[in-house]
Amino acid sequence: MKQPILIALLTIVSVRMMAQNNNAPYSQLGLGDLDDGYYNRTSGLANTGIAYRSNRFLINNNPASFSALTNQYFTMETALRGQYIHYAGNQVNVASTESADITFRKLILGIKITQHWGSSIGILPYSTQNYEFQVPYNIAGTTVQIADHYYQGHGSVNRAYWANSYEFFHHLSIGVDASYIFGQLNQNDIIQSSPLGSTLVSTTNNTNLQNLYLTYGMQLYGRLGKNWNYSLGGTYSAKAALLAASTKLVLNNDSVTLQNIQNQEGYMYLPEAWGAGIALGFKQKYMFVADYRYQNWNGVAALNSYPGQGYAVASAERGSVGFEVSKQKTFYNTRVELSYLQAGVYYANSYLQINGQQIKDYGITAGFGVNSLKSPLAYSMVFQYGIKGTTNNELIRQNYANVTFMVNFGQIWYTKGKKFD
Amino acid sequence: MTIIHHYLRKELLILSSFIVALGFLTSCEKQPDLGQFGNSNVTDNNSANIVAVDSSTVLLSTVYVDSVASAATTFLQVGTYKDAYMGQITSQAYLQVRPPAGLPALDPLRDAYDSIGMALFFRKSNPFYGDTTIPQTFEVHQVVDTLYQLPSYANGWWSNQYLPIGPALGSTTVSIAPNLPYTSQNAGDTVKIRMDDALGQELYNMAYNKSDTLTTLSTFLNWFKGLCITPGPASGGAMYGFFDSCLLRVYYRENINGASKTKSIDFTLYNRSAQWNYITNNRAGSPTANLITPTNIAQPPPATLSSVTGNSSYVDNILGLTTKLSFPYLNAISQRPDYIGLLRAQLTIIPLAGSFSTTWTLPPQVGVYATDLHNQQGGPIPAQGSGSAQTGNLVTNYFAPLLSTYTYDVTNFVAAQITNTAPGSNQVGLMLSITSPANLSQWRRLAIADQSYPTQQRITLTVYYISLYPHQ
Repeated sequence: MKQPILIALLTIVSVRMMAQNNNAPYSQLGLGDLDDGYYNRTSGLANTGIAYRSNRFLINNNPASFSALTNQYFTMETALRGQYIHYAGNQVNVASTESADITFRKLILGIKITQHWGSSIGILPYSTQNYEFQVPYNIAGTTVQIADHYYQGHGSVNRAYWANSYEFFHHLSIGVDASYIFGQLNQNDIIQSSPLGSTLVSTTNNTNLQNLYLTYGMQLYGRLGKNWNYSLGGTYSAKAALLAASTKLVLNNDSVTLQNIQNQEGYMYLPEAWGAGIALGFKQKYMFVADYRYQNWNGVAALNSYPGQGYAVASAERGSVGFEVSKQKTFYNTRVELSYLQAGVYYANSYLQINGQQIKDYGITAGFGVNSLKSPLAYSMVFQYGIKGTTNNELIRQNYANVTFMVNFGQIWYTKGKKFD
Repeated sequence: MTIIHHYLRKELLILSSFIVALGFLTSCEKQPDLGQFGNSNVTDNNSANIVAVDSSTVLLSTVYVDSVASAATTFLQVGTYKDAYMGQITSQAYLQVRPPAGLPALDPLRDAYDSIGMALFFRKSNPFYGDTTIPQTFEVHQVVDTLYQLPSYANGWWSNQYLPIGPALGSTTVSIAPNLPYTSQNAGDTVKIRMDDALGQELYNMAYNKSDTLTTLSTFLNWFKGLCITPGPASGGAMYGFFDSCLLRVYYRENINGASKTKSIDFTLYNRSAQWNYITNNRAGSPTANLITPTNIAQPPPATLSSVTGNSSYVDNILGLTTKLSFPYLNAISQRPDYIGLLRAQLTIIPLAGSFSTTWTLPPQVGVYATDLHNQQGGPIPAQGSGSAQTGNLVTNYFAPLLSTYTYDVTNFVAAQITNTAPGSNQVGLMLSITSPANLSQWRRLAIADQSYPTQQRITLTVYYISLYPHQ
């Protein structure tokens, strides 16, 4: 009875908290800030896990990983992230340079349906948008200020997925992640009288996005001698067209509708993407992982008319490495993991190129996890410090610190009386 | 297993509480100020914008009425001056006086007639216009025709009406410093005009005799038909508005125990409604010389385009001049492809450069009114969201004359007019008129440059509309 209650509670809270609240200046462009985190066991490894396999945790970095789950094992994971950002740059008011929020990041479930077939469903953020700024509104071509322009954007694009993987020959796993991308990006463009602040005219642009997005995954794994084990992983996603239905509502100062334009349809393309990773384990205690991910935004740049101007999309890439130490104990001939420590570093070029500068994102992570012996829960805490952007070329640099708290619930299902193997 | 499930319950309870608490914490975030970052990245034409159009055609016309109701303004407007735009302007004041309710008991052994004169009072806030450094001559005449016999008395007196007057009974030449006020007669704010002693003696004798002419008002008014105070023929320079509470004063001396004491019999204003100012305006040689004047009293007041009046229009209500503004192409704005609604409209009136100075001051309050095809003045145009009339908010800057502007929020008018395509709608407009009561008592005039002048010097209607591309 407790599990449905917990799932319901998490779902309700997740709906409220999925959207980002920190001001993300770059999120006004393109599809917003793409979330490159998975909020899982690999988060402490700088989200390095294309080749990572786990019998307990859901490694949604690669859909091929779910076949690694323990047989008949049901597991559920959720994550919360607290984020603190310090902003720097010529544009930033030195009197107000900080922001912090706490957001719900995911809710996913997985199950090992048969001995070789693992499956997972869940919802994750794909991108988020949250920004606001106020500028003087001048008569075009003059310096005569007649009002203030207040821009506010918010919204998120989420990914609801169903991933399945199947293991072949005990060394090869192939998976497919069928994601339904959906969400809404909203922009309120309010022209306010200055200095009274009353609304003169407001425009609300809503863009609803939706479509399927398929990701294919493969993992090849085995042992190297007595102490070593390896895993090689790869993922591939073909480009996909997101159906973008836009609405525009213009209200005057008396909130009288001047224009209400419905369902202007277009497409925004998600790029072809691929990733490759390697994982090397030693005595099931130490694990080294490395990933490289690439998104070919250049290939869809000509097809797109993303919101915003004065910027370009550029192919994005991300490299990361991580190292993990696992503490295990043997109970009745079964090795049980008690806790683990992780560390990772990452470096990424984002898909946005503003003022001739591709926005970079790099940082370090450290994670710590504990698996409860008295309950089917496992907890982990990940600390991340990173730098995104630059102060050059009138851009903004965000120094951010994240603390992610994740909970994993796991239980054996469908045992017909047998509780454990 | 029971232990495990018990422990799980406790963990779930703690976990749930933690999650819910975090849910509430999310509303506590603080947002940084990122200035104008992103302003150049906002999509153009994706949202509604405000477009300001200040190139809309405004046609100026001077509407002329041949007379204004100049009675009962409380001021005796007397003077003459030459205005560069209006020409020669002269005003003379008609009034009736009445004898005192009780006449003094005059004793020929003790009392003796002394003199007669008019006392005119000029207080600090009284209207004046023109060059007050030039001495002005004032004359007092007696009306030689009755006021009562004219039918227009029932309808009030108008500025173009006059009555025959006799020769001057007295005059004085005086300089008035109107802002102090001070007169060169060293009598404070009073201008004294010594009058003909024959009249004074006659009035004194009537008082001594307790004549019916003085004790019966109607008899007196039939005999003494009225007074007219005029500027003297050599006058020029300024116009003064004296209080209508003037005095016709008969002085006599009273000797008591060998000492002489001056006393007076005061004739005061009889009927304010019968006091009016006769105003003449010789526009020859001035920019307003070509004003179209009405040929029939029933004719709507004619409007003269600014192109024939020196590329300016004029507001000088006391001379019968108001300015009509019409906007023949206003609805072209609403037909723009990006127009989706009106935000506001502002009318900016810049007085004609060089037309005003510390001598030729501007009317501080000029109202904006509706007007129709027949150039009739309608009700005031209130600002958007306000029910009160507007007066222009003039801030005069004599050092930078082009910064002296009258501004009006004419959103309500433009909102109704911008989509009005009815026949004749382009002749409906706005009327600029000095607000009451200054419109009938003040001489300050406004000259407005039309749109043949450079942009910074001319009248401008700025329409702020809400624009959206693409327009659907």
